[in-house]
Amino acid sequence: MFSYLLRRAITLLLVLLGLAILIFVIARIVPGDPARIALGPLATADQVTELRAEMGLDAAFPVQLWTYLTGLAQGDLGKSLLTSRPVMDDIRAALPATFELVLFTVVLQIVVSIPLGVMAAVYRNTWVDNVLRVVSLIGVVTPGFVLAILLQLVAAHYLGFFPVTGRLDGSIDFSADITGLLVVDGVLAGRFDVVLDAARHLFLPSIALAAAGIGQVMRITRTAMIEVAGRDFIEASRAYGIPERVVTFRYMLRVASVAPLTILGLEFASLIGNAFIVEFVFSWPGIASYGVRTILQKDLNAVIGVVLVSGLFFVVANLTIDLLLGLLDPRHRIRAARDR
Amino acid sequence: MSRLLDIQDLCIGFSAYGQHRRVLHHVNMHVEEGERVSLIGQSGSGKTVTMRTIIGTLPMPPGKVEQGSIHYAGQSLLDLARAERNALKGTGISIVLQDPMLSFNPVLTIGRQMDDIIRYADIRSGRRRPKAERRAQMVETLRKVQLKDSGRVLDSYPVMLSGGMRQRVLIGMALLNKPRLLIADEPGTALDVTTQAEILALLNTLVAKEGLSLLLITHNLGVVREMADRVYVMERGHIVESGPRDDIFDAPDHPYTRRLMAAVPPLYGHKVKTVTHTGPGDMVAVEGVSKDFLTRGGWLNRVTGQFRAVRDVTLNVARGDVFGVAGESGSGKTTLAKMILGLTSPSAGEIRLDGRPVSDFAGTRDFRKLIQIVYQNPGSSLNRRRTVADQLAVPLKFTGQDRAAITRRIGELLTLVDLPQAYASMYPHELSGGQKQRVAIARALSVNPRILVLDEPTSALDVLVQSTVIDLLNRLRDEFDLTYIFISHDLSLMRNFCNRVAVMLRGEVVETGPVADIFDAPRHPYTRALLSAIPVISPEEDARKPPVTEAERAKVLATSTELED
Amino acid sequence: MSALLNDPDAPNRGLTSGQMAFYRFRRNPLAIIGAIIVISVILAAIFAPWLAPSPESAGSFVDFRNRHAPPSWDHPMGTDNVGRDVLSRVIYGYRVSLGLVLGVLGFAVPFGVVLGLAAGYFGGWTETLIMRFTDIMLALPPLAMALAITAVLSPNLINAMIAITLLWWTWHTRLIYRIVKAQMNEDYVEAARVAGASDVHILFRELLPNCVSAVAVKISLDAGFVILFGAALSFLGLGVQPPTPDLGTMVATGSEYMPEMWWQAVMPGLAILYAILGFNLLGDGLRDMLDVEL
Repeated sequence: MFSYLLRRAITLLLVLLGLAILIFVIARIVPGDPARIALGPLATADQVTELRAEMGLDAAFPVQLWTYLTGLAQGDLGKSLLTSRPVMDDIRAALPATFELVLFTVVLQIVVSIPLGVMAAVYRNTWVDNVLRVVSLIGVVTPGFVLAILLQLVAAHYLGFFPVTGRLDGSIDFSADITGLLVVDGVLAGRFDVVLDAARHLFLPSIALAAAGIGQVMRITRTAMIEVAGRDFIEASRAYGIPERVVTFRYMLRVASVAPLTILGLEFASLIGNAFIVEFVFSWPGIASYGVRTILQKDLNAVIGVVLVSGLFFVVANLTIDLLLGLLDPRHRIRAARDR
Repeated sequence: MSRLLDIQDLCIGFSAYGQHRRVLHHVNMHVEEGERVSLIGQSGSGKTVTMRTIIGTLPMPPGKVEQGSIHYAGQSLLDLARAERNALKGTGISIVLQDPMLSFNPVLTIGRQMDDIIRYADIRSGRRRPKAERRAQMVETLRKVQLKDSGRVLDSYPVMLSGGMRQRVLIGMALLNKPRLLIADEPGTALDVTTQAEILALLNTLVAKEGLSLLLITHNLGVVREMADRVYVMERGHIVESGPRDDIFDAPDHPYTRRLMAAVPPLYGHKVKTVTHTGPGDMVAVEGVSKDFLTRGGWLNRVTGQFRAVRDVTLNVARGDVFGVAGESGSGKTTLAKMILGLTSPSAGEIRLDGRPVSDFAGTRDFRKLIQIVYQNPGSSLNRRRTVADQLAVPLKFTGQDRAAITRRIGELLTLVDLPQAYASMYPHELSGGQKQRVAIARALSVNPRILVLDEPTSALDVLVQSTVIDLLNRLRDEFDLTYIFISHDLSLMRNFCNRVAVMLRGEVVETGPVADIFDAPRHPYTRALLSAIPVISPEEDARKPPVTEAERAKVLATSTELED
Repeated sequence: MSALLNDPDAPNRGLTSGQMAFYRFRRNPLAIIGAIIVISVILAAIFAPWLAPSPESAGSFVDFRNRHAPPSWDHPMGTDNVGRDVLSRVIYGYRVSLGLVLGVLGFAVPFGVVLGLAAGYFGGWTETLIMRFTDIMLALPPLAMALAITAVLSPNLINAMIAITLLWWTWHTRLIYRIVKAQMNEDYVEAARVAGASDVHILFRELLPNCVSAVAVKISLDAGFVILFGAALSFLGLGVQPPTPDLGTMVATGSEYMPEMWWQAVMPGLAILYAILGFNLLGDGLRDMLDVEL
């Protein structure tokens, strides 16, 4: 098991390294001079030369790559042109907000979609299944930004209880210093007004973000459950008198949950992508908001940083899911142990 | 004696794709207390539907009981309330499903699965027992199925057990709650013949010792002869014949039963056809061939070990031989075939075809015109997205023939394997299993090869279809002076089809010679163990099986009662 | 159902797989609705100049007397902030969306399919190289990447197309790779090799036909998501630029007049939803009909 973990960790590092190189190469081969792009068409040639030197752009390409990678290894992503601060600091400031939103969203997705998917499979081809099918379809086909705007409209004008911008009400004085997650830090500090308000703020953005995934995962869960239901060992369990409820939840779901979990991991990249839109619409002070602002300003260092961090999110999420699958399915573990 | 299970006038229909079809027609059968009854049928005969209806796992809809009744110990199963019906599962009637590889939940330990079975039966009957007591019952049951080291078995996941052990555990699971009627669906069929024999013996012991009644569902007449007091023969949803075992085997009455009996290749006795023909000269010469596979793993896929799949094999196949290579799974027979076909090269030794070393010309046009292969499963060896004509054309196209010649040749080939010309434009799924295998044979013959490797060509087919395919192969051999290398685990078939055989065990050839010599006077203990394990259909054959001692068996066969480390 | 079909005792004999597929399609009204929606969108895009009530609204036409008009008989979807007919702009918007779909899938699908075939069939270093690269590409958050690319290249339809294409092929590579890996266990591949078939023959004549139905389903589902993706880019101001009528841009502009003049954002939003819904329903129907798993 340990060697398995170690190997996974090394694969993870290799993927991240590949990602870093790929992003750097893309950023450099796109036509145009990054310094010129950053300064805009009105800048003078001298200004451009100066910035080129500052950004290290006059060195040879391999040298630039090496400087960039060694900087990266020390946690240095360069300076943001937009905020004039180190990109790492900006990201560190914005990361907890995004992490909280994404975490909340994933939990929402799992809690909602897997039970509904099981329900659709158990009552397959009845009206329950049809209703759930329509629900999952609506989730899948509604564009995130359309849903976000509709939620804002409905919430602002009819519900009122759910705020439509920011993470915390301006009247509450609280800074999340421990984990950066308002809900968690609120609990730790015993400030339940903070917990409640932060949860209220999280509600609408996470629904907008979760909808597409919920639809997908529901559908995958249903398919996987139906597939597993047809296997021999399920018939055997029934024939040995295991009650239907236990067959469904212990015997089928444990085997069937592999597929939805894998999909959740793969869809994680698009989840982060959609976070760009949702954070933008809900003025959520996270890394995606930062990303959109810096992209619009053609702030290359910051853009590279944001994409890298998003990639890290994806890779770590998939590693987590892999380990989870190992817990669920002994075949993963046994194979891993044999490989030693 | 009283009737434990009594099926009266049972009719079952299915609705699928808007069509309704009846699959069981007025089935009457019963099982007496303590009796062993067999239901014989080929695939599609309705025997699995019957089993599922009895146990209560037939999906309804689409299935529907149209008329008839099933009584178990006086209770009408089809009229019972659901809870009462469920209460009988595992405690009254229990089953052993066909495939021990697929019948376990892969993510739970054996102990957990067995514990659930006991616990929920207890809950239904209002009993409560501490965990230790349930565990004691599991250990007791595993002992009944002759498994040693039950503690470790209970803590294992299914993947950690061998096929034979899983089959034993599976039988144990069925017996956990002490049912009175055990339904076994093709027990041991998915295993090697020597393991199958152990499982059948175990079932017989259990029936005798535990006072069980047994309903055995199978297509294998040899198994029936060893396992049944009374027999039902099912064909397309009808019971066509029934009666005591010896009556059926000695004097089958219905034409279908007679055809079935005739199609089973005899192992010994006057019905055996001994093939002796052989031609001059060596067609295939295998000299001191070994094949090692590297096992990889760990860091960066390093080589972690070596596994010798074939060990120092020397064989000569003469022109016109039907040379049988016998062995159980993992014996290396398929690896040997791949080396002869030039698909993988030997680690040591040399193979010559018609005097030329394989390594010199494998992959060339000459090579392909010399040797071709027919695979075990035509469902896999034919591409399901291409028409019969498309597939027959491939070897022709790559030997440089033009379109007109290819079309003409496809017509000839279909005639050769007795298929109508119209089949050229069909897709594989529109054909039956036997027809597909004929197409595969036609494809192998398309460039007029002189050697055919036949890799278990009939093992995916029903016994009736098998005999027609074997007839076809015999006819083609005579007509085109072909040399066959016939790879199989079915020794009865080999006895009647081959003129010479080699027996393989763990990569080595342990015995080789003319077919009559090997079968009548086997020298190696493995050959004897193999022959004695084959279920046969007459006492005459049983009497002529070679003797084999327990010590010899233990030496050559893998255990199915103990965990390996 | 599939378990029943695998059962040799199952009574499905006598129907060809074509008949079964047709039966499944006919019994699936949602798939038919999907097909109708997709056809209507395609027709709207092709015949936009004849169908749009006011074709001049597609450009930088201005009619300040009629601005912010709510839906009416004259303007079924109302008018926007400069008085252009929203319905006409939606119809022209479909042209842009479908153009994007054609451009993206026209390049991404063949590229992804060929790479997937090669990785699955050749194995070894080819496989490692292609699949590791695909893994890395999959780790890139697609929308962020597309945003970055279009921002640097200057935002317009062609660059949006390039950005999306660069990211889209990976899904097809993965899909085909998985199918080919499974097919490689089938004997027909070796049989073709024994018969002397070339690699090109095995790849494109033997393996590819076994991937076609999965690709067809995937393309149908993809089309909807490409539309969504393009709209999301324009919504953030990094896709198609005004005055070209684009659905995402229209939602973004319209949302400034929410909630009083809701139609300006909601109508184009629903138009996007309508198209995606159609492609999804069609894709689902095809999936059931062809019995493929994605």
